[in-house]
Amino acid sequence: MAAEGKAPSLAEEYSLPSQEVQLQNPSEEKSAVSTVAEVVPEKSVETAPANEATVAVEETSQTPEVKEPSDEPEAEESSAAEESGEAAEESSDAAEEAADEKPEIKIETAPADFRFPTTNQTRHCFTRYIEYHRCVAAKGEGAPECEKFAKYYRSLCPSEWIERWNEQRENGTFPGPL
Amino acid sequence: CRFLTIALCDAAEPWQLGSQDAATPMMQGIIDLHHDIFFFLILILVFVSRMLVRALWHFNEQTNPIPQRIVHGTTIEIIRTIFPSVIPLFIAIPSFALLYSMDGVLVDPAITIKAIGHQWRASTQPYEYSDYNSSDEQSLTFDSYTIPEDDPELGQSRLLEVDNRVVVPAKTHLRMIVTPADVPHSWAVPSSGVKCDAVPGRSNLTSISVQREGVYYGQCSEICGTNHAFTPIVVEAVTLKDYADWVSNQLILQTN
Repeated sequence: MAAEGKAPSLAEEYSLPSQEVQLQNPSEEKSAVSTVAEVVPEKSVETAPANEATVAVEETSQTPEVKEPSDEPEAEESSAAEESGEAAEESSDAAEEAADEKPEIKIETAPADFRFPTTNQTRHCFTRYIEYHRCVAAKGEGAPECEKFAKYYRSLCPSEWIERWNEQRENGTFPGPL
Repeated sequence: CRFLTIALCDAAEPWQLGSQDAATPMMQGIIDLHHDIFFFLILILVFVSRMLVRALWHFNEQTNPIPQRIVHGTTIEIIRTIFPSVIPLFIAIPSFALLYSMDGVLVDPAITIKAIGHQWRASTQPYEYSDYNSSDEQSLTFDSYTIPEDDPELGQSRLLEVDNRVVVPAKTHLRMIVTPADVPHSWAVPSSGVKCDAVPGRSNLTSISVQREGVYYGQCSEICGTNHAFTPIVVEAVTLKDYADWVSNQLILQTN
């Protein structure tokens, strides 16, 4: 699955596949969802999805032994019992419970914005944050049409900034037009 | 990098003089531009050194004691003004074309990854994947620390390997948002042709699209403090499906 059958030629390697456009285009969200939907059930059918995943990663990274330590500290940090090496065996039984609570991964993010065509995206993040809060102020808390703005600003803003702005809004010292 | 090797080189090697192998169209463009410019560069070098050597050879005290009194020659003056201005023009055309194509900010990306430079303790680059959040607090974040000098296992590069790599899908448009939490840093991956300064209070964007799966190494490229030399960056490109698996595994790990 990693190599997807055949090795592509150099020209193929450097040309973007047309199928990728589906994923980028937020207007075609549904197609992205459907590809994910294919991915997820496949996981629940097989007994050890994590096993399969680690094997795949080992295939892609040229040196499998390098991969291992990259996972270990994660396990330490989160104090989860899973360790990369044993993750495969262990999560095979954890897989059943993981399979149903496994969050669905939807590949989508804030679209490119013609108002911010520059490298500097500071304003982009700030504007999306303000847009969300103005939307909430206008439509009420939890309005479904505001959710996309929330997703956008979470994608674009460093979490530290969001924390600071949330704090400032609570204190009433937020500098933006809300 | 080396002659006649088939494996592509995505990390620096001792005494390396050339670039690392390209992993993105951007880097391919940079390498091609470099070669194009070198064509002109060699021509100019040969021509100028020929003139210089010839002048020194023929016009010195022994061979030519009486200097010639030429004050101007219109033809030669026109030629030597026009030509040096045309050559930069030829260099500028592909250079600007590349520069603006690298600036492709207005392509809808599939994934946003935030790299946040930190100086705290050993310098590190925490990463945030926030496309999958449902609230402000919950977010897929992890630190990416360097493996200490006395710790690397066989096959790992010294001071170039990290504990948690940035996993990205190959052949997908990625938006990297680069910002620091303290002092200026710079997020750089030579194989991807990316070097993006992290300036405090500002978030910079750079878009990459890694074309092949692999592990790519880079380092912080802005003197950021005492531990500047210990700030490696490792990008691991995998297939889109493996990426989705990795993200869901990470989300489970972080929520538990």
